[in-house]
Amino acid sequence: MKKDILSISVIIFLIAVVINGTNIQSIDEYYLTHIDDITPDSETVTISIRCDTILDNYDDLDPALRSEEFVPPDGVILPPTKYVLRPGDTVFDILDRAVRYNKIQMEYQGADQNSYGSVYIQGIHYLYEFSCGHLSGWMYRVDGEFPNYGCSKYKLKDGQIIEWVYTCNLGKDIGCIWIE
Amino acid sequence: MNKKIAGFLICSILLFPIISETKAFADENSYLSEGQTKEILSIADDIIAWKKSDNGSSENGYLINEKFLELAGTTPGDWYPIGLGRLGIADNYEGYLAVIKDQIEERYKTPGKLSAAKATEWHRISLAVLAMGGDPTNIGTDEKGLPINLIADGTYNRGKTTPLGRQGINGWIWGLIALDSMRYNIPDDAYYTRDDIIIEILRQQLADGGFALSGKTSDPDITAMAVQALSTYYNDEKAYTYKQKVSGEEVSRTVRQIIDEALLCLSELQLDTGDFASWGTENVESTDQVVVALCCLGIDPLTDQRFIKNGNTLLDGILRYRMNDGGFIHSFTYDPDNPTSLPDQSNTMASEQTLYTMAAIRRLSEGMRSLYDFREEQSSSLRQRISDLEVQISEIAASPTDAADISELEKLLASFYSIPENERCYVSNYWTLSDTAKEAGIDIDKISVTTPVTESPKDESGENVILYFSESDRNAADGLPENLTTEQYVLVTTLLDKLNKCEDFDEKNIYLEKLTAAKNDIASIQAEIDSINTEIKEKLYPFERMTLRDKETVDSIAARYNKLGEYDKAKIERWEDVIKTKTQLDNLLRGIIIGTVLCLIASATAFSLIRRIRRKRSQKEKEMEELALMYKKDE
Repeated sequence: MKKDILSISVIIFLIAVVINGTNIQSIDEYYLTHIDDITPDSETVTISIRCDTILDNYDDLDPALRSEEFVPPDGVILPPTKYVLRPGDTVFDILDRAVRYNKIQMEYQGADQNSYGSVYIQGIHYLYEFSCGHLSGWMYRVDGEFPNYGCSKYKLKDGQIIEWVYTCNLGKDIGCIWIE
Repeated sequence: MNKKIAGFLICSILLFPIISETKAFADENSYLSEGQTKEILSIADDIIAWKKSDNGSSENGYLINEKFLELAGTTPGDWYPIGLGRLGIADNYEGYLAVIKDQIEERYKTPGKLSAAKATEWHRISLAVLAMGGDPTNIGTDEKGLPINLIADGTYNRGKTTPLGRQGINGWIWGLIALDSMRYNIPDDAYYTRDDIIIEILRQQLADGGFALSGKTSDPDITAMAVQALSTYYNDEKAYTYKQKVSGEEVSRTVRQIIDEALLCLSELQLDTGDFASWGTENVESTDQVVVALCCLGIDPLTDQRFIKNGNTLLDGILRYRMNDGGFIHSFTYDPDNPTSLPDQSNTMASEQTLYTMAAIRRLSEGMRSLYDFREEQSSSLRQRISDLEVQISEIAASPTDAADISELEKLLASFYSIPENERCYVSNYWTLSDTAKEAGIDIDKISVTTPVTESPKDESGENVILYFSESDRNAADGLPENLTTEQYVLVTTLLDKLNKCEDFDEKNIYLEKLTAAKNDIASIQAEIDSINTEIKEKLYPFERMTLRDKETVDSIAARYNKLGEYDKAKIERWEDVIKTKTQLDNLLRGIIIGTVLCLIASATAFSLIRRIRRKRSQKEKEMEELALMYKKDE
């Protein structure tokens, strides 16, 4: 009789383990696979990508790009999205993560390939510098301010809000003042 | 130069600088003193020394080393070669040409070729190729096997794909500079004529005489670059009729009028310290561009009174930015928000622009062709002819009255128009002659049409250099590692190019075979790197949708990655994401295996439990039956 009870409890235990999940991980593995999970303790930043200004300058747009496939009707390429801030993350790292995770096309020039020592974003979502007039291209804003240096040099802090915005007029149409 | 600042939008626009011609002083002897020449050369030498140490080259080694060549075809990778070439400093020219040719061929395989939007990529690379002794109209072959012509694709035929001015006025300015670098002829079926390009620049002049990328305030850099491009036409009497962009008015003007106004504008923009400010920041590059513009016009940048402020010359303005290590800083205004341009650390762009500015000054003082005029140097007899004419022009009476004066002017005009058309831009004080002749009512057009051109005799040309595949080249080829990586790309490309050009020797074929194989291996490694990067980007995201079905893909990416050498592994982007996905899937699989095993154990336990219960039950039944039998017997 004792044996039976033991067997039954073994079965119950095993079933309980299986139901509970058998994903047994080391601490390292857990950390690695949950690095992007947002918990109440995680430091996060928010990123969005927009190209509203093109809607107002449609005539200047490269004819090959005049389609909702490239320019969404509301100008939103990526709505504000939260990402976990990993140590040392720059604006470029977050942008790269966001476009990869969301499968958005992006092309950039490496930091050693220009005279500025920073990554330079050439195009996002097939919209490139000069795609919409000779003063057009991508700029970024952090907490409402336009930093005057490259995105791979900007180290982020907890809670910051990054906006990648397309300008058709050297920043003037998106409220960038320092360029005046 | 908040360019740096504006940088990230416009950097690519501004990464260019430019050419010109002469407004002259009758100062045919304004060439540098010995001390000044020394100073100019030592500024250039020190920049090169700084860049070498920045670059990991030895003091006596070449600036264009393997590390440098990885940047061939980019802004920082092309302007130093231009500076070196125009100063005539020996360096690894062949290496640059070998790598840039290969890079051009690779980039021509992409839809945008050198760039979808920026024609200036063609212009900058063309100038660098010329400076290194190559031919931009025939460099490598495209996928159809046709020779690549950077001048055609980047200037007069650019409009067949994308307007030359897609990126703004820079496209036109640099297009004209590239086109005139060898005074290239434009075929009849071309998309643009020279005049189309010239007019596009002229019509963008602002009310104050200068030029800018946008807006109505002139920018010194763009104004200077426009002057550089137009300088070739300073002595042309031709009036262009066009509609001004700012006013919308139709005007008819000569290039000389435009340049004179632009110079006035620049003179007014110059600061008391001799330098300039662009985008609100005092900086060295703007000053460099103005100096180059003056040199293109044959104007001595050190003595022209329009460009000396408070006793400070343009060179004084430039030297403000010189560092102890020989390099130059962009600006010394400390900007805490701009870590890319420190006021105390030499900077690549500031130094490269100052380097070729020194070349421009040096070339002017030596009577050589201007910075962006890559034609063979003038023969000594042509140079003498031009300099004699300049002396005569400097001696003409201010207001000619009598018939003798008039006939002297006509004689000088005939001398001018007997000079081959493409060389007339080097007569730096022609404008004095032209103005005086017009005042005296002389019909210049008539003289220009009726005067026959006389060529000057050529100098004896030097011998062609024969390349040798030297002992050290052989050693380098012999020393290639068994397992190649893209780290050897530059070395293999340059060795192979040298080998192809050198004269025959015994083992030439063996080396050819070995290096060609190495070149192909490296190309396929590069293709593998590109393919893994694409695969990661396309198949790995979003993470949460990855299932065991993707395990094969992820494992194959990991296997391919592991086959790469360490140098190449570093070129795989976001490898950490692959690890993450692989761990995620491996954990998932492990979980399933553990689950399955646990289920099996549970089933086995359950099975034996049931068997035992059954056995017990049947035993009991047996016992009961036996008992029943016993009872029966008892009865």
